[in-house]
Amino acid sequence: MITRRDLVARTAALAFLMGKEARAAEQVPDPRPPHFPPRAKRIIYLFQSGAPSQLDLYDHKPGLARHAGAELPPSVRKGQRLTGMTATQSSFPMVPSRFSMKQHGGSGAWLSELLPHTARVADEICFVKSMFTEQINHDPAITFCQTGHQLAGRPSLGAWLSYGLGAQSESLPAFVSLVSQGSGNPADQPLYDRLWGSGFLPSRFQGVKLRSGGDPVLYLSNPPGVDRTTRRRLLDGLERMNRMKLAEAGDPEIATRIAQYEMAYRMQASVPELVDMSKEPASVLDLYGPDARRPGTFAFNCLLARRLAERGVRSIQLFHRGWDQHKHLPKQLAGQCRDTDQAAAALIIDLKQRGMLDDTLVVWGGEFGRTVYCQGNLQADDYGRDHHPRCFTVWLAGGGIKGGVTYGETDDFSYNVVRDPVHVHDLNATILHCLGIDHTKLTYKFQGRYYRLTDVQGQVVKPILV
Amino acid sequence: MFLSLALAATAALSPTDRVDYNRDVRPILSDLCFHCHGPDEEQRKASLRLDTQAGAAKDGVVVAGKPDESDLIARITAADPDDRMPPADSGRRLSPAQIETLRRWIAQGATFDPHWAFVPPVRPPLPEGEGAPGAPIDRFVRARLQHEGLTPSPAARPESLLRRVTLDLTGVPPTPAELRAFVADRDYGKAVDRLLASPRYGERMAIRWLEAARYADTNGYQGDGERVMWRWRDWVIDAFNGNMPFDRFTIEQLAGDLLPGATLDQRIATAFNRNHRGNSEGGIVPEEYLAEYAVDRVETTSVVWMGLTMGCARCHDHKFDPLSQRDFYGMFALFGNLPEHGKARKIGNSAPFLLSPTPAQVGKLAQLDAALGNAEEEVARLAPVLEAAERAWTGDVPAHWNVERGLALRVPSETFDGTRFVESDIGTFEEKSRFTAAMRVTSQTATGGLVSRMDDDGDHEGWSVRLAGGHVEVGLSKRWLDDSIRVHTRQRVLLGRPTHVAVTYDGSQSAAGVRVYLDGVPAELVVEYDGLNNDVTSGERLRIGARGTGDRFKGRIEDVRLHGVVLDPDEVVAVAGKPRRAYFLAQVAAEELRAAPARLHSARAERQAFVATVPTTMVMQELAERRPTYLLIRGEYDKHGPRVDPAVPGVFGAPPVRSRLEFARWLVSPQNPLTARVLSNRLWQMLFGQGLVRTVDDFGSQGEWPTHPELLDWLASELVASGWDVKALLRTIVTSATYRQSSNAPAALLERDPENRLLARGPRFRLPAEMVRDQALAASGLLVERLGGPSVRPYLPDGLGKDMGQGGRGADKGDGLYRRSLYTFWKRTVAPPNMTVFDAPTRETCSVRTNRTNTPLQALTLLNDPTFVEAARLLGERMMNEGGVGHGFRLVLGREPRAAELAVLRSQQRAHLGHYRRHPADARALLSVGDKPSRPSADLAAYTQVALLILNLDETVTKE
Repeated sequence: MITRRDLVARTAALAFLMGKEARAAEQVPDPRPPHFPPRAKRIIYLFQSGAPSQLDLYDHKPGLARHAGAELPPSVRKGQRLTGMTATQSSFPMVPSRFSMKQHGGSGAWLSELLPHTARVADEICFVKSMFTEQINHDPAITFCQTGHQLAGRPSLGAWLSYGLGAQSESLPAFVSLVSQGSGNPADQPLYDRLWGSGFLPSRFQGVKLRSGGDPVLYLSNPPGVDRTTRRRLLDGLERMNRMKLAEAGDPEIATRIAQYEMAYRMQASVPELVDMSKEPASVLDLYGPDARRPGTFAFNCLLARRLAERGVRSIQLFHRGWDQHKHLPKQLAGQCRDTDQAAAALIIDLKQRGMLDDTLVVWGGEFGRTVYCQGNLQADDYGRDHHPRCFTVWLAGGGIKGGVTYGETDDFSYNVVRDPVHVHDLNATILHCLGIDHTKLTYKFQGRYYRLTDVQGQVVKPILV
Repeated sequence: MFLSLALAATAALSPTDRVDYNRDVRPILSDLCFHCHGPDEEQRKASLRLDTQAGAAKDGVVVAGKPDESDLIARITAADPDDRMPPADSGRRLSPAQIETLRRWIAQGATFDPHWAFVPPVRPPLPEGEGAPGAPIDRFVRARLQHEGLTPSPAARPESLLRRVTLDLTGVPPTPAELRAFVADRDYGKAVDRLLASPRYGERMAIRWLEAARYADTNGYQGDGERVMWRWRDWVIDAFNGNMPFDRFTIEQLAGDLLPGATLDQRIATAFNRNHRGNSEGGIVPEEYLAEYAVDRVETTSVVWMGLTMGCARCHDHKFDPLSQRDFYGMFALFGNLPEHGKARKIGNSAPFLLSPTPAQVGKLAQLDAALGNAEEEVARLAPVLEAAERAWTGDVPAHWNVERGLALRVPSETFDGTRFVESDIGTFEEKSRFTAAMRVTSQTATGGLVSRMDDDGDHEGWSVRLAGGHVEVGLSKRWLDDSIRVHTRQRVLLGRPTHVAVTYDGSQSAAGVRVYLDGVPAELVVEYDGLNNDVTSGERLRIGARGTGDRFKGRIEDVRLHGVVLDPDEVVAVAGKPRRAYFLAQVAAEELRAAPARLHSARAERQAFVATVPTTMVMQELAERRPTYLLIRGEYDKHGPRVDPAVPGVFGAPPVRSRLEFARWLVSPQNPLTARVLSNRLWQMLFGQGLVRTVDDFGSQGEWPTHPELLDWLASELVASGWDVKALLRTIVTSATYRQSSNAPAALLERDPENRLLARGPRFRLPAEMVRDQALAASGLLVERLGGPSVRPYLPDGLGKDMGQGGRGADKGDGLYRRSLYTFWKRTVAPPNMTVFDAPTRETCSVRTNRTNTPLQALTLLNDPTFVEAARLLGERMMNEGGVGHGFRLVLGREPRAAELAVLRSQQRAHLGHYRRHPADARALLSVGDKPSRPSADLAAYTQVALLILNLDETVTKE
């Protein structure tokens, strides 16, 4: 009996961009079957890099007004470790959000005035207010969210999905990442290739980052002075000679290489078509907002995400930077929300209109939360918040998720989770579950150990599932 | 994975064969049972362990000789899913063949042998039989082939063989002249000797070692700032080229600093274990990363030298191998005992690091050191003379005279009431390198800004001098808190009494470069934060009586002076109100006395300027007093368990080790069963595409059984017997008939052994990333060959990493574009895409396993990356000028094209020529790619296309 894991471990995918592992012993059908029937066929993860303030966006704490400027009680902090940035701060004055919150939709979800568009789709969304992590700094925390481990070297979520499920598209990568810079904090946290990398999985499982300037895929365009006919001519000659070699050497890698050159040639047509928004109706562009016409913005990427989803891309990983509000939070946060609110809501509306929301999982969230106490000088109209791993909010919608739900609860200070805690491993287990994967069974043997995205932890958050 | 096991083990077992515990049984037990019934006590279920004879014999689980009485067999064949092992929810299952193997093993007596890799290799006897005599390697390989009913392939054609061995030993293809010479004399041994003697050999060998050592030019976290480690890279190249014995190579890299009379080179060698990433993120807890760095060193060292996955034992006892958590921390204790900070510098090298002049710089540095020493001596020698002369002088210092050296600004006197401050512009004053700020202060309050050029933002960008609770506090900051220096005087100034305050900063970006004088006397400083990575230029105006525009001062500030130099102590005394000495020296003293301090200033400045051009290297260094190491519970940095002493993992029964040096010596001693095997296996992987043990990074019980165990042990013993002579071992392998076989695979052989594990043919696999590029540069004549030096920046796509917030400099001009790829500047968070697309590891962690994929992105890179398009143009020029399309083919592939191949190339050339004659603008455009100048013509454009085709051939990117 050969187990599925054995099969996967020694098998290559046919999929586009994934290429083939050298000397694959055997082929299995691609896409590969999930462990059980999935609710979602694909995921669009709107990662908000820098850590958005849950206190100013989702986690409504009306009682805080009474404590404005008062010291955070030690009974709440409970010896929690602080970042090196506020550990030396002599006082920890609490600061309520200066933005108002209201309830929205039939579900009565609390949302900040900064998120008017999200408010309109609140009933499609499940807000998880009880997220937590152990990481208190960006690099390890983002790496943890995306790879299940705080240090470099493990495969990213999308790479695991490509490995576990293969590709659906014959003409586009299985896993695409898109990045955008927030207007809130232009000098914000950078990103790293490892966030869409394949870690110890073969490199064909890594995400392909689509670029907003120049070639959308690196080295996609022919050099200047080479038109499509000239390229075709070269490829024809190349194929003839490679076939001679194949006949002589008998190495199946040569046949694969011939096929990959053809795929590359096709890709030179399909990728420009993908990023060409000219055929999108004005009404759709308007839905996503004015930024949707500007490549490199979050709105443009959201629309591109929908186009990728339509074309069968399984993992679409957005990163929007700029959420690290150590200071000037009121001004910066407003900018970040202007960047993202309308387009994220538009994506849900657009997917729904096309009947795709049911099988597309949309996730919105960052790497940790922010502190109830002020970092730096607390002023009447200005404040900042430091990193806070003990609670934060993410939201999910679509494929397999119950809409109009708020899950989990924090204490009166949005400092500790008091009900239904959800660890990052739990979120990742739940994401895999929606895509038909048992997170404990999707493993890869590396250096003698069977690794998985959720390491040795993770519980599927069943109550938020349809 | 499965396939090779099948080949190596169970599937090859016929019913009469004897079951070998290590080869056949342990892999099954390890993979399917040890997780719950193995070495890890915490995880052990039903207190049953199956990794030892005693454990398995308990309660009749395994009854030797009696499979039907053994509970093990009953449980693995149980019909009831609740009884069956492994349990259903483990997702693991035994195949019928595996069950049969276990049954037979018990029937044959159920012997437990120690894991093969933990038993020191014994030089095996050479197999007899057909094929003998012959080279030992070939005898081992043929014995196995014979057993499998296979025969070796014929020898490769000479041209193929020369290209194969030239790429393998030097990383670039043979030149036509080398090919002609070899075809003429057929002296293969001579060719191999020539290649091993080439300096290209060291470059070729170094790159795999750099990947293993996670060498890079950046720090690897967050903003991923630059570091300088290339002196270590060059040490590696030199060591390979000088054929340094591998035992010495090991000892110097792991513990060169501890060798008696360690040389600069031996200390640079220890950078091996400082190549790991370093986190400089603002909010980190330094202790956490101190632990991570030590863990990285343990994991890397274990994988590279021992093929062990020690990392598994960080949080708990190893689940598969006899490695305890205590063993892990025993190594941690060896590699965590250095004076480092958990928080790395954002830009540049983190302590401890070493000034590492190149051989060319050593002389000049010594000269400057000597000049500085002489100048200091001279000043000291003349001090009593000066003092006596000054005492003898009866003149007066003119009323308004004072030190003018570097004076940029002077503000006489201001009184402040706590609400106001004064501003001033100071022209071209450049405080970033060095400066002095001095003033006389009479304060009414304990806190308030004295003088600053600093913004009001929370970053406090700029510099400031202020009173803080009576202490004089100096801040230099790019971003408070993580890119700053902040110090204060231990002493407080008295309120209401005038105190002269002078601050000097020498531009060194360290707290040690800040001095504060109170009334002309150096004050003791308390360092609050020492982590400045940047210059502190500020766009702000100079403000007196405030820090930024806030923190306002109450009292009187007189005689504010800013000098664009670091004033000498005597000069500070002068500005503090006692100018007699300085005046005498500057204006009255004899020429000889005046010249000495001037010479000292210039000697200091000259040395400082030169030292700025000298590279440094992060190195290993022992703490004077050993830092205690604790077992970390669940591997968490702040959960201390019992204290642990340095040690070699217990399973090896090594004598106690007290230092890295003793550990390194044990690694290359006969008592260690692993290092020689692990190295031989990696060299084999380099040449044959896969190791004899394919899991080159795991020789533990979860690793693969070697396809040719005796051959591996023979290679290991050969390596040790030769005095760890790596070149000799490579020579032995590449001169074997096994290596020299043709790589062509007849269909039947391909079907029988698709992965060539049995070695019935020569190796054929895609070139590693760096070789794909280096070959194109070499064949086109673009390659600039120069050993070592700072890393270079070849073509990168515009704006790479910019949208990710990762900065980076653009490409070099000139030679930097055409150096071998091992010199390419390696930024870990955005690694060079034309390397990673060909499976180069990112260098974030240790990597020794070869990964090869075959993707359309590789096609796009080879067809469109300016690197290859420019190489095609230059190769096209060579064809046009030197000998047509056949010449280009020879330059790249090292063989004559066959008629059919030549026909394709010629017809391509004609067709492209027709096109470019009709479209001269296209020809000009194509030929404009790359920095090398060209003379556009339709002819050259057509040859360029043909060259691009040749560079894209499967055979080109493949070693065969």
